[in-house]
Amino acid sequence: MNHHVPGFQEVEEDCSILDSSGFSRPKRLLPTGEEDIMELLWRNGQVVVQRSTKRGGEIEVPAEHLTVRGIRSTAEEQHLFMQEDEMASWLQYPIDDSSFDRDLYADLMYSAPPPPPPPPFQAPVTAIAPPRSVPEIRPHLAPTPPIALQAQKPEFSPRFQNFVHFSRHPCRQSIEQISKPLVTVARESTVVESNETPAVGRESRTSLVDFRTQTNTDRGTAALYAPGASAGKLAAGTYELTVSSSPGGSGSSFSASRKPHRQSRKRTPAGERKRKIREADDNECRSEENDYEEDETKRQGHLLTASSSKRSRAAEVHNLSERRRRDRINEKMKALQQLIPRCNKTDKASMLDEAIEYLKSLQLQVQMMSSMGCGMVPVMYPGMQRFMPAMGMGMGMGMGMGMGMDMGMNRPMLPYPSMQLPGSGQPNQASPAPHMGAGFHIPTFHLPPVLPVPDSSRIQAVSSMADPMLNSLVSLDPNQPRMPNFVYPYQQFPAGLQQASQLPLPQNQAAAQPNASKQTSNMENQPSAG
Amino acid sequence: MSSRRSRTQSAGSSRISDDQIIELVSKLHQILPEINRSNGRRSNKTSANKVLQETCNYIRNLHREVDNLSDRLSQLLSTIDADSPEAAIIRTLI
Repeated sequence: MNHHVPGFQEVEEDCSILDSSGFSRPKRLLPTGEEDIMELLWRNGQVVVQRSTKRGGEIEVPAEHLTVRGIRSTAEEQHLFMQEDEMASWLQYPIDDSSFDRDLYADLMYSAPPPPPPPPFQAPVTAIAPPRSVPEIRPHLAPTPPIALQAQKPEFSPRFQNFVHFSRHPCRQSIEQISKPLVTVARESTVVESNETPAVGRESRTSLVDFRTQTNTDRGTAALYAPGASAGKLAAGTYELTVSSSPGGSGSSFSASRKPHRQSRKRTPAGERKRKIREADDNECRSEENDYEEDETKRQGHLLTASSSKRSRAAEVHNLSERRRRDRINEKMKALQQLIPRCNKTDKASMLDEAIEYLKSLQLQVQMMSSMGCGMVPVMYPGMQRFMPAMGMGMGMGMGMGMGMDMGMNRPMLPYPSMQLPGSGQPNQASPAPHMGAGFHIPTFHLPPVLPVPDSSRIQAVSSMADPMLNSLVSLDPNQPRMPNFVYPYQQFPAGLQQASQLPLPQNQAAAQPNASKQTSNMENQPSAG
Repeated sequence: MSSRRSRTQSAGSSRISDDQIIELVSKLHQILPEINRSNGRRSNKTSANKVLQETCNYIRNLHREVDNLSDRLSQLLSTIDADSPEAAIIRTLI
């Protein structure tokens, strides 16, 4: 804000120069560069400068007197702001005000995006700090200023050019349109605040923005022009409108262009920029006059987008946050993928599916292992087959479980005698082994499945998830003779499994039915064979 | 995930819908042990991010537990004669 101060201070001086009509001098307005924020308000058809710090005293400064020139700090330029160098000097001020940027950015997109707010930009922006008349504008400006500020020096010159034009025109206009308070006010505000002039602010803002962002020289010029040209149109009512709209337009435009800028923002001292601008401006101001007019029209087109610019900014913020959220989720998905063994899926749904299965199998496994010590209850989750390293090996338990799977339902009546079958059926098991498949491989298992019939129900509970898995496990189990052992443990198995067994029952029913007959026949044969 | 949805629509091959994913996430959420229920706090907020994070943590915990149990089982195995059926069972677990 201090930057403004210089400007303001000068304004004072200038005002004094200009002030011949005895209007309250703006001197009071600018308390010398402190944090005072001068607000240019449009009241009663006049531009009123209101200092933030000293609210008590509202100084009504006729717009006429508040020419940009006044704002121009350097004493060199004399009242007529028209001169580019004047503008340049003026330009130097605001940029250094870091507080500006902060204020501006607070509401802006900058809050969302990571890049640090462009410090350099703050100066100009905050210079005028809160011209309440154009609150919206400011936010719009904020984004732009940072970008603009960020721009490197070389960028500045072109930008400044715009600015210069901007300033130039206004000044010209101010001189010419002294009667137009808006214009002058705008100019002041723009100069001081780096685009936040109530009426003219809009234009100045845009110009400033452009200036900073180097993107729209036209815009800047247009903005500048607008004040002059549209000064007349700026009625009190519309004043705010335009102001707000312009920021929108400029803001939106800026936001779009800003992004790249933001990333590479470098804070160059505002002063430097200003100086450069100044020089550049001198040469370019004149030539760009024509552009102003063109820009003006464009500007007016932009003016009507205050809300849309806000919306676009909000959308941008939203997109950024959405993107961040998605990135976080993707990160976690990748981590999950690494945790799950043998997971070669890349799409979310299948990965989630696998995660669910794996988690269940892990839970089962842990449960089994933890209860191993107490009763040796080897409950193997059928779905775990995929995750168990030793599938074909000591899957005795698996076998038991697998058997339970198919048979559980209609084999509860099979007594232990069926257990002996496995022994004899061992050779057969080898063949069925490869047929794990869905519950229909029962035929191959006729022996093993018979075994743990009573337990199968329990086992089923365990293997409710994947019958086929169990079957495969079972068939792979070379430890047929062990079945009896398993039967025992199974009995000890907590009743919880029984509940699970209820679930697969309906499923197994269908599968087991066809096998039932086979099994019974097998069973009958077994005893004879065994 | 609107973008995903649109992507799905545009890329006809990926027939994964957002609802499907949401369903999976909620399923996963049900499996996860909800430890934070001290004062009956509402656990109806199932943000995918949180669910995924919890899942990863839980899986790691389970891994650790499995390792512990495996160690204990192997110790147990060494204590019993290797030919016993229990040993076989234990071996299957490890």
